Amino acid sequence: MATTALRAQVAAKWQESFNRMNKGGSGISGLMTFSRAWEVATEFLRPKDISDPASLRQYNLVDIKNAFAAVNQARRLPVMLEVYMDDIRKHQYLITREVTTYMSHYEQLMDPEIIAKLVLRLVEWYDAWAPIPELGHTIRDAYTLTFQTHLFSILPPSFARGFKALCASTLPSVSTDSVVDARPHMWAAFETLGLFDRYEALIASVVYQHIESHVVKTCAGQWAEPVLPNLRDWMSKKVVKWMFSPYARGAKTMEDAALMLQGPGQRFDFHMSKTLCDLRTREIFSIIIDYPDSMGALQDLKECLQRVDQRAELVRTLRRANEMRLLHPGADTKDILTQYVSTIRCLRVIDPPGVLLFKVADPIRRYLRERPDTIRSIVASLVGDGESGDSLVDENEPIHPLQQPETEDYTDPNWEPEPIDAGPDFRANKPSDVISTLVSIYDSKDLFVKELQVLLAQRLLAVKDGNFEKERRNIEILKIRFGEAALQVCEVMLRDMTDSKRIDQHVQSQHASIMHPTIISRHFWPTLESSSIVMPGQFEKLQAQYAKEFSTFKPDKKLRWLPHLGTVHLELQLEDRKVVADVAPLEAAFIELFSEKNVWSLDNLIPRVGSVDRSSALKALATWLDLGVLKEDTENSFRLLEVAEDPTPGARPAISRPGATNFTKNPYLAAHRACAGIAPVTDDLPPASSIHQQQAEQMRVYWKFIEGMLTNLGSLSLDRIQAMLKLAPGYDRTIDQLASFMEAARREELVMTKDEMWRLNR
Amino acid sequence: MKVTVKHWHAVATWRWDTGTDQQTIDEEGDVCGICRVPYEGCCPSCKMPGDDCPLIWGECSHVFHMHCLLKWIGTAASKQQCPMDRRTWVTAERKVAPTR
Ligand SMILES: [Zn+2]
Ligand SMILES: [Zn+2]
Ligand SMILES: [Zn+2]
Repeated sequence: MATTALRAQVAAKWQESFNRMNKGGSGISGLMTFSRAWEVATEFLRPKDISDPASLRQYNLVDIKNAFAAVNQARRLPVMLEVYMDDIRKHQYLITREVTTYMSHYEQLMDPEIIAKLVLRLVEWYDAWAPIPELGHTIRDAYTLTFQTHLFSILPPSFARGFKALCASTLPSVSTDSVVDARPHMWAAFETLGLFDRYEALIASVVYQHIESHVVKTCAGQWAEPVLPNLRDWMSKKVVKWMFSPYARGAKTMEDAALMLQGPGQRFDFHMSKTLCDLRTREIFSIIIDYPDSMGALQDLKECLQRVDQRAELVRTLRRANEMRLLHPGADTKDILTQYVSTIRCLRVIDPPGVLLFKVADPIRRYLRERPDTIRSIVASLVGDGESGDSLVDENEPIHPLQQPETEDYTDPNWEPEPIDAGPDFRANKPSDVISTLVSIYDSKDLFVKELQVLLAQRLLAVKDGNFEKERRNIEILKIRFGEAALQVCEVMLRDMTDSKRIDQHVQSQHASIMHPTIISRHFWPTLESSSIVMPGQFEKLQAQYAKEFSTFKPDKKLRWLPHLGTVHLELQLEDRKVVADVAPLEAAFIELFSEKNVWSLDNLIPRVGSVDRSSALKALATWLDLGVLKEDTENSFRLLEVAEDPTPGARPAISRPGATNFTKNPYLAAHRACAGIAPVTDDLPPASSIHQQQAEQMRVYWKFIEGMLTNLGSLSLDRIQAMLKLAPGYDRTIDQLASFMEAARREELVMTKDEMWRLNR
Repeated sequence: MKVTVKHWHAVATWRWDTGTDQQTIDEEGDVCGICRVPYEGCCPSCKMPGDDCPLIWGECSHVFHMHCLLKWIGTAASKQQCPMDRRTWVTAERKVAPTR
């Protein structure tokens, strides 16, 4: 029920609004102007289909502006803008249609240029539908938001892929130096459509991947020189130049641009360091193998690790590589030691305080401690055992006394706190020399001194030409390392050697003998296994004669023989041939007995040489079986072959000898024979080939050894076989001689070779 | 078959001829009664065994490192007696090791 007052109020309101729309014109002329202005403005704002030429027309901008002014004056602008936004939404299907067309095209051809075209086309749509600036930024922002919201809702997943490829195509090529046009208008289009903000992470990932492929392509395996300077150069010349379009867009001055590039530039530089760090971490094991030819890589890694916190990753990777590639039963102790020493040197370059080394070295040291031949290998290297390859010790490194682990000295002005990732077990050892580090694998250096004595004893007793100057030099060096006192025993051993020589000269002058003993001071040599062999026949006479001459020269001293030690050079004159051999005393003793009678049983032989266990006796007899001097007719019954039974002696390797007795298959036998250095010579060979034949014969002795290796280790390279044979005392073949022997074995179908690896033919 | 030995590199230890020739003697027990070091070792003031650190034989049949005995005889407490049997020390001339 409207009251009069209400009615009057409504009438007044209506009049007011009419007047506003009529712009105070007379009658309704103002109202007519408003409706025309509304029409002009809404027609202008109506979204057109830009692919339909008919819908496009030219507007008189003055008319348009007047029309908007009229609508605004009538306060009808908000209503009109609502209508406008509604219209936009109603026409979005046109955009959708366009995007669908382009994207299906792209999905067929996968050409990022189609994406570029789509982006530019979308900008055309965006511009065509945009409100005029006079309407203010609020309207424009609302329009942009609506447009982009719709656009992002319809872009298929393949767009991101194409967009990424498009960005990548603008980067300077990794493979060539050609500079690609950075296409600034394209980046402007991205900005217009809001693609840059939406895909910022994607664009950055394009750069990251670009950096990664460049680093890997140019730096992998390049370890000799540092690569960081070149990489930095590349970054500033290529990448930063490219960054201007995406990252310094809108910059008015160079200063502005520099400021805008700073943040992303640092991120990319960091990524470059991280990528190189990752690469070198992956390569670390091989880098260490290559040391010192990989110094450049180590310097880079050191610099990278100061920026990128990847120390834990480096430790983890190297430990895993060591476990897989180094600390397993197939690796030589010598190789493990060599790699350990290189690891020490490399990690000291990367991390002078030694925290990384401590963490990496721990498993290696624990593993080495459990290997039975570690001390021996270290000691062999200490005395410069040239036979087992490169010395662990750098010849140019000064020789230091052994360093004991030090406790921290807080009064030291150079003292620094332990690095943060040191861990509770870390001992801040001053960098010590390699030998000290190796010796410290064990709790006491006494073990090394003992092993040194054993090794020295073996080497001194093996000296044949009376020249042990090399051992003397070694002892001098070792005195510096281990101290005079520890090496005193070795001094006595050397003195025994010179004394023996002097005594022998005297004895020979009195009563010439083919016997030339080394006379040792028993408390100063390592315990040499005792033996109760009694040398029979002429050997016993030789011993007695020499001992008598000795006591004449030294009336207060007597000799006690160690009959199992030493070597005897023998010549056997048989009916049809002569055999010359260097053998161990027990072997000599047995063959001496065969000069008494031709057939012996094992049980009768043993008591004639004192006391010896059956297996040692069989080993000694096997030597003569292999030389074709004896034959085992029935088990443990041996007969001298006055006439060779094999029509072509030496033509077949011992291993293929029919009726080979079971004990000759024992690989230890071969090693034992190798020690003796058997050198048979047969008279019926033509002189020209005799040396060659002789060497071939000697090689056969090593066959068992090779067979044992290949049985246990599968396949081996020639180098590896050679290295392992060198562990057999007395082995002195060159690798070429080994190669021709292996070739001969291959012809006999005992072994086969593939990719330079040898294995048994089974 | 005739076996001809062309060359024999043998190994032997030397022993002092202390008169006790039985090989059955406990080898570790064969020590100087003064320093308790084996005769074929060397006395505490020497580094080289053998001719550099010879033995000395007493008429009483006791044998010592010569340096050990001389040091002992040099002390007042020794009264010039053999430390083992307290008889006046008389060196057995025949067995004196030739000094160099
Ligand atoms: Zn003494
Ligand atoms: Zn002495
Ligand atoms: Zn006495």
